[in-house]
Amino acid sequence: MNMAAAEEEFAILTKDLRKEYDGLVAVSDLGLRIRKGTLYGMIGPNGSGKTTTIKMLVGLLRPTSGEAFLMGEKVPAVRNIDRIGYMPQEMGIYTDLSVHENLELFSDMYSIGKGDFRRREAELLGMIDLEERKGSLVSHLSGGMRHRVSLACALVHDPDLIFLDEPTVGVDPELRVGFWDHFRELRRRGKTIVLTTHYMDEAVRCDVVGMMRQGELIAEGTPSELMTVTGAGNLEDAFLSYAGRARA
Amino acid sequence: MPLFMIAIFGYTFGGDLREVSVFIVNLDGEGANGSISASIIEDLATRDTLAIVSLIGPENASSSEVASAISKVEKGEIWAAIVFGEDFTESALEALGNMRQGMPAIPSEIVVHVDSSNPNVAQAVVGELQISLQKTLVSEYGLIPPIVIDENRVYGEGAEFIDFFAPGVMGLAAMMVTFMLSIVSFVHERSYGTLDRLLTTPVTEGEIVGGYALALGFIAFIQSCVILVTAIVAFNIQIVGNVLLALFTIFLLGIGSQGLGFLLSSNAKTEFQAVQFMPIVLFPSILLAGVFWPIEAIPDFLRPVSYFIPLTYAVEGCRSVMIRGWGIEEVWPQLLVLAAFAAAMLLLSTYSLKKRR
Ligand SMILES: Nc1ncnc2c1ncn2[C@@H]1O[C@H](COP(=O)(O)OP(=O)(O)OP(=O)(O)O)[C@@H](O)[C@H]1O
Ligand SMILES: [Mg+2]
Repeated sequence: MNMAAAEEEFAILTKDLRKEYDGLVAVSDLGLRIRKGTLYGMIGPNGSGKTTTIKMLVGLLRPTSGEAFLMGEKVPAVRNIDRIGYMPQEMGIYTDLSVHENLELFSDMYSIGKGDFRRREAELLGMIDLEERKGSLVSHLSGGMRHRVSLACALVHDPDLIFLDEPTVGVDPELRVGFWDHFRELRRRGKTIVLTTHYMDEAVRCDVVGMMRQGELIAEGTPSELMTVTGAGNLEDAFLSYAGRARA
Repeated sequence: MPLFMIAIFGYTFGGDLREVSVFIVNLDGEGANGSISASIIEDLATRDTLAIVSLIGPENASSSEVASAISKVEKGEIWAAIVFGEDFTESALEALGNMRQGMPAIPSEIVVHVDSSNPNVAQAVVGELQISLQKTLVSEYGLIPPIVIDENRVYGEGAEFIDFFAPGVMGLAAMMVTFMLSIVSFVHERSYGTLDRLLTTPVTEGEIVGGYALALGFIAFIQSCVILVTAIVAFNIQIVGNVLLALFTIFLLGIGSQGLGFLLSSNAKTEFQAVQFMPIVLFPSILLAGVFWPIEAIPDFLRPVSYFIPLTYAVEGCRSVMIRGWGIEEVWPQLLVLAAFAAAMLLLSTYSLKKRR
């Protein structure tokens, strides 16, 4: 394949990406092709390899074999690093700093100017609905609030490619709707988002859904495609049907 | 592990000073045979508290020998120079004679040029000399003529145990705080996912390591200032040398210690394992680095371990600066060891962070 053309088209490309932990295959020869501007949802049971895949893509884990490209750059994508945002599944923020200090800290790491930061912070605090708690220590926030701060930190440098590992866990329904509005908004602005979720009602709202099981991508497509092919009435049944087929 | 610690404790706590290095210059005109000085020296040599590195005289000894022995004390190569004067035996015998006839005796003297930067060591030298003196004279003459041991303090005039103790506490506290803080913070970074997040920003591994080093080095610095001020205000300790140099020594130790903590916890398989490193590193440092008792009080077979402990060098460097008033020209070996330790820890930490991926 012509890499230059691929760079134009795909935010993420992987070839036979594989990760083994002492014999346990966490991710098995994954071939992902995610176009720019896609809102991509990864679903699959616990331990199916979603987090491992994301960690390899953002350069935190070295693949056992295979390779991956982010916006045309081979992983670890050092040159593009400030265009990538990552929200870890663990909290990933400093509990002994305030919300504002966390945002400022990560913003400083991307050498963002003070003025830009202030604008960005106001916008993000609005999205996570924590304007009033800006000065609170993270350790004084509720679990769901911390999660929201973590999401804001991943977006503080306005990245083009965004990895969100279970961004809506523990977030209340009302705010979850707000999050999704924001994700759609980001996508409209041409951002690529890869997120993992266990909520099927969220997966349905993605452009493309990848179903993982035991480290393998067992199905991929738009939610409606997946449902049509399996004849299932919802994504959950579609997944179970694919899982049954993979088992057989 | 606990057994091992109890064992070290037992060995070091009860330990007497041993092999305190001294020079003896014997100018005694009486010569080697039959002189009182020779008998005293012979007795001194039988006990292992002192290690007589060099015995000069009585043949071919001159006052230039005394000067060079003193300069060895000044350089910190030996703890003391014991000098028997030219007419030592003669005047002691005369005093003995006078005493037997009930006449007043003029005391003769032994001069000890001693480094009192460590009061325990200085006391031990004088004490041993006193014992040998009495033993020899009582067994040979049945009488003790007045002999004055004239203590000439090369360093540490007026130094007390607290003066010796303060630099040790400063070093130990700096090491404990930086080491434990870096382990705990790094464990936190690992388990809360902030490390992962940091590593996906443009911040490099070297910058993370450097940031930790500066932050914790600064903490060590501030803490040392507090200890110093407290020691000065509450215990009136004396500081002869450059305080900034002492603080710099502690700063280097702080950077190295936090680097060690960082390195260990980034290589630990689990957070629990990381925390277990604390006693393993801290116990030997507390016991073997010369904080509470001098290195000379540590049993021979453990002493090589002392020289592998960075705190040993920091405490020694700090003491030399604060009590002896030494400058960079004298304490550079300690500074060099500490700087090398710090540099090695920072490089290894950076490398191990890179390797984690
Ligand atoms: N550091 C590790 N050492 C050994 N095995 C690991 C390690 N990290 C993950 N695994 C294993 O790899 C597999 C995939 O884990 P991964 O975290 O990618 O799953 P996941 O799809 O993100 O699950 P979840 O939905 O629970 O977050 C699991 O079987 C897990 O036990
Ligand atoms: Mg996961």
